[in-house]
Amino acid sequence: MLRAETLKLTTIPATKIAVLIAALGLVATQLTSTVLFPYLVNSEGTDPEVAGELPVVDMTKASEQLAALNPLGGSGSIGIVLIAVILLGILAGISDFRFGGMVGTALAQPRRERTVLAKTGATALIGAATGLILAALAVIALLLALILDGTALSATLPEILETLGRGVLAITFLSLIGLAAGLLLRNQLTAVLVMLAVLVLEPILLGIIQLATGTLPIWAQLMPNTLAHALISAPNALTGAAALGALTALTALLLTGAALTLKRRSL
Amino acid sequence: MTKQEIEPLLVEHLSKSFRGVRRVEDVSFSVGAGRITGLLGPNGAGKTTTIRMLLGLIAADTGEALVFGKPFRNLSDPTRVVGAVLDAGGLHPGRTARQHLRIAAAQGSHAAARVEEVLTIVGMSADADRRIRDYSLGMRQRVAIAAAILGDPKILVLDEPANGLDPAGIYWLKQYLRSFADHGGSVLLSSHILADVEQIADDIVAVADGQVRSATTLAEALAASEGDLEDFYLSMISSSERTTHAAR
Repeated sequence: MLRAETLKLTTIPATKIAVLIAALGLVATQLTSTVLFPYLVNSEGTDPEVAGELPVVDMTKASEQLAALNPLGGSGSIGIVLIAVILLGILAGISDFRFGGMVGTALAQPRRERTVLAKTGATALIGAATGLILAALAVIALLLALILDGTALSATLPEILETLGRGVLAITFLSLIGLAAGLLLRNQLTAVLVMLAVLVLEPILLGIIQLATGTLPIWAQLMPNTLAHALISAPNALTGAAALGALTALTALLLTGAALTLKRRSL
Repeated sequence: MTKQEIEPLLVEHLSKSFRGVRRVEDVSFSVGAGRITGLLGPNGAGKTTTIRMLLGLIAADTGEALVFGKPFRNLSDPTRVVGAVLDAGGLHPGRTARQHLRIAAAQGSHAAARVEEVLTIVGMSADADRRIRDYSLGMRQRVAIAAAILGDPKILVLDEPANGLDPAGIYWLKQYLRSFADHGGSVLLSSHILADVEQIADDIVAVADGQVRSATTLAEALAASEGDLEDFYLSMISSSERTTHAAR
C-alpha cells in the first residue's frame, strides 16, 4: 500500500507543481532577504527613508546565516513555501476523494486505518524529499548570497546540518498536517480555504493574545506554523525536542481523527 | 453448509437508510459459482447501495453480505477474490492508464507484468500511455475493467459496466463475462440494458424501491413472461405489483 500511495503522489502533476512552487518561493524569499535587501540598503540610489524601512541582514553573523537556511522563511510569517507544503499534503489527501480513487483503495484494502497509515507514510516520504530539495536550495541560495556579499561562511557544519535537518522535519510534519486536513475535509476548495484561514489567522490570533495578556498561553503556541518555526529555530536541543514532540502530537491527533472519520464514512 | 457449498456471494436481509429514508430494505439474494446474475432495477432502486454494502463501502444498518462466507472487510487478499467496476472506475484524469493500473497492481500486491496482460485483454495496450482525460467514456470503462481483473479474481461485481462502451466493446464485455463464468467465476452485473443482460445472465434479481421484487433464473423469468424480459422487468418493478417472488 505504501508503494501504491507513493505512486499516486508521484504520478499526478499537482504534486510536482506544489514542490516547484515551494522551491521557487524559497529561492525568491531567501535571495530577496539576503541579496536584494542588503543591496538596496547599501545602494546610493535608494531613498534613505526606504532603506531605513528595509530589514537589515548582517550576513557576517552565523545566526543570520542559519536563519537564511530556514526553508519556511525566518520571520515566522506565512510564506509561499509554507502554503505550498501544506497544499502538497492536502492534495495527497484529497485527490483520491476528488476522482473516486478512494473506492478502489478501499476495495484493495478494506481496513481504512491501514490506508491512512499508508497515505501517512507516502506523504511523509514526499514531504521529506521536498524538504531535502528545499534544504539543498537554501544552502545554494545562502552560498550565492555570501559570494555576492564577499562574506565568509561563519556558521559551522554541525549547526548548518542541524538547522537543515529541523527544516526537513518541519516540512514533513506540515505536509502531514495538510494530509489530515485533506482527509478530514475531503473537498479540495474547503480544505485549502480552511488551512489558509488557520495559517492566516494564527499570527493574528497570537498577536491579539500577546497584546491583550502580555504573554502567550501554552495552547496558543501549539499552532502548526508556530510549532514548525519553533522546531527550526529552537535555541537549544531541549526546546527543539519539545517543539518536535508537540508537532508530532498535533500531527498524530489530526491523523487519528482523519482515520476515524474515514473508517466511518460511506464511500 | 460445507466449505464446498459456500456461495461466492450471499446477501442476507440487507437494509440501509440515509437520513431516515429507507433506500434498501431486507434485500436477499445470492450469486452462485459459474453464474452471471443480473441486478436489474430503475434509477434509485437501491442497486448501487446494495453493491456498495456488499463491498464494504457502506455499512449496512441490518443484515449481512458475505463473500465466500466472510464479510468483504475480512478478506485477507480482496483483489484476488473480488474485482469491481463502480462509477467511472476512480480514474485520475492526469494519469495514464498504465500508471493507474500500476497503482492498482501495487495496491493489490500484483506483479507489474500483470498490468501488461490486462491491458492486452481489454485492448488498451496501444493507448496505455495517453492521459485518461483524453479517453472516451468507453476507453475509461475498459481501463476500469482492466483494474478489476488485475488480481484474476473469482468474482466480478460490475455496476453498469457497459456505460459508454461501443457495440464492439459491449460484445467484447459479454464474451469476456460469459467466458469468466464458464470457467467457474461468479458475476454480479447491475445494468439497465435488458437486452444485454438477457444475452448473458443466468439469474435475475429485480429490485425496486429498495426491495427485491424477484430473484429467479433467467429461464424462469422468460417463461413467466412469454419470453419477454422487458415485460417481466416492468411487471416486477411496477409499484402496483408488490408481490415479492420467492428468493431462491
